[in-house]
Amino acid sequence: MMDLASILRYAAPIGFSAVGETVGERAGVINIGLEGTMLLSAYAATELSLTTKSPWLGLIAGAIVGVTTSLASGVLTINMRQDQVVVGTALNLLSFGLCGTLFERLRGATGQLLSLPALPKVWGGIDLALVVLVLFAAALTVVLVRSDWGLRVRASGEYPASLEAAGYSVNRTRFEAVSVGGLLAGLGGAYYAIGVAGSFAPDMISGRGFMAIAIVTFARWKPIWGLVAACLVGYFESLQYQLQMTHQDVPKSLLIALPYVATLLILIFSGRGTNAPAALGEPYKGMR
Amino acid sequence: MRILMPSLILFATLLTGCSKDGQGTTASNGTEAGEDSASFKVALLTPGPVNDSGWSALAFEGLEAIRTETGALTSNQVAQGSDIKESMRSYAQKGYQLVLGHGFEYNEPGIQVAKDFPDTVFISSSGSATAKNAGAIRFYLEQSFYLAGVLAANVSKTGTVGMVGGPDVPSIRSTFKAFRAGAEASKPGTKVLEVFTGKNDDVAAARQVAETMIKSGADVLIHQANAAAQGVFTACKDGKAWALGANLNQNDNESGVVIGSATISAKAAFLEVAKLVKEKKFDGNVVQLGMEKGAIDFVYNDKLKSQIPEPALKAVEEAKSNIISGKLVAPKDKF
Repeated sequence: MMDLASILRYAAPIGFSAVGETVGERAGVINIGLEGTMLLSAYAATELSLTTKSPWLGLIAGAIVGVTTSLASGVLTINMRQDQVVVGTALNLLSFGLCGTLFERLRGATGQLLSLPALPKVWGGIDLALVVLVLFAAALTVVLVRSDWGLRVRASGEYPASLEAAGYSVNRTRFEAVSVGGLLAGLGGAYYAIGVAGSFAPDMISGRGFMAIAIVTFARWKPIWGLVAACLVGYFESLQYQLQMTHQDVPKSLLIALPYVATLLILIFSGRGTNAPAALGEPYKGMR
Repeated sequence: MRILMPSLILFATLLTGCSKDGQGTTASNGTEAGEDSASFKVALLTPGPVNDSGWSALAFEGLEAIRTETGALTSNQVAQGSDIKESMRSYAQKGYQLVLGHGFEYNEPGIQVAKDFPDTVFISSSGSATAKNAGAIRFYLEQSFYLAGVLAANVSKTGTVGMVGGPDVPSIRSTFKAFRAGAEASKPGTKVLEVFTGKNDDVAAARQVAETMIKSGADVLIHQANAAAQGVFTACKDGKAWALGANLNQNDNESGVVIGSATISAKAAFLEVAKLVKEKKFDGNVVQLGMEKGAIDFVYNDKLKSQIPEPALKAVEEAKSNIISGKLVAPKDKF
């Protein structure tokens, strides 16, 4: 029942995105458009891996799309100081529409069941992308706390004026953090298509982007805990499928809700006080 | 700069609209010349996008058949929940003579809206309520799911088979009941696993469920997961299990493990209703369509048929002829 490799693999899309989103939020920028970013990246990865027959190029394409979309929304939220929630929502709508339209144009009006090239496994059920994910989560946890760059990121999320007073650019720091977030969200989406599903459907992300945002809060803005929390939700998900098979008389809807209810309960009981970055969601207007 | 955000949102919304409605516009291009109140107009409402390679896709094929055969102007839209009635009204106001709703959830709203628009006929796939200008086509998919169950139980070496569902809705539950009945009747003691992912097209969830079932000993799986079906097929390929397709003929899937498919063809039924409506002969009824009319079928994968043991083929053949002759009634829920 406890197949750790499988749980990590199925949790990885949320894991990647949550780790990346943590960095962005630590710098004060919340990315509601995570769901859309994941979908766009997943689709880019799908088409590229199908044309080139290389899963790696697919992942790279996803990462590039992730960074590009995060920079684009950064222009709106950081430079133009627009409302982050509104921009994110627009990004989601844009992504859903764009993917649906492109998918129909390229794959026919009634769709197509696609089968993507798989990543080679290096050890058990683990592939290189999962190793990269664990390394990213661990490294970013340390970097955020120990490095100068991490200090700048945290300052820009807690009290951006202090960063400017110290002679650094808040916008630049936020852009750097947001592109790390975009890179990982892109990898998350691409990994969903290539590493987990092995296929694409325009509706397939199914709220994983929003789950990732919730998990950042759940993990108290610590990258490594974000990954752990994603795995925990993933564990409840696989437990829930087991229960559906062994307890056929229990209403399915109750069991389907289990991972979400469990997350909510843990959130309630683990949350004493809040560690949210003080300037989260606030555009920085400068000291003048 | 202040103008940029609103226009971006507007652009995004437009694009979203495009994807849901996109084929509708392209599909109608062919008959654009005759577009006026005079021409025959048919609309289709689906619970999901028609690019789902499954339930909604087969309805779109039916709509395409109406367009090419009757020269109708066609349009389609995704409509769920509270949007259903609104979409129906909007099509009726635009002078559409026929509005097809692909699912049982369109039955009741159709009856209600029909009162206000006597010149438009509202048909739902599934459902039992009728009015003078509203009715339903009941696809008896349970018949071929029953046969799939018979085949699965006879092909299985482990005595365990599985069903992977998307959302837990009455229409899917009903087909799963028929599959279970077929399996248990044909090989008593067969274990039938049933799991719903709870999501529409979540390919990863479908794959995870299928992997879990295979690990628990299942070696033949059927699905009701539309666009997420590839997840089930890939898991079967990796786990050396057989798979069964549903709704559309999925036998030629790349995985090479689909031994047969339980199919619905909406073309004939949609066309028949469209012609009745066009000639103003529709009088409000529920048409039940099953194997005997050719709307439902179970098709083997010719490439894999040689690997199916003879007794299994015989059991399916026998059940099939009994269903067509009416001696055997596949169970179905009322909804």
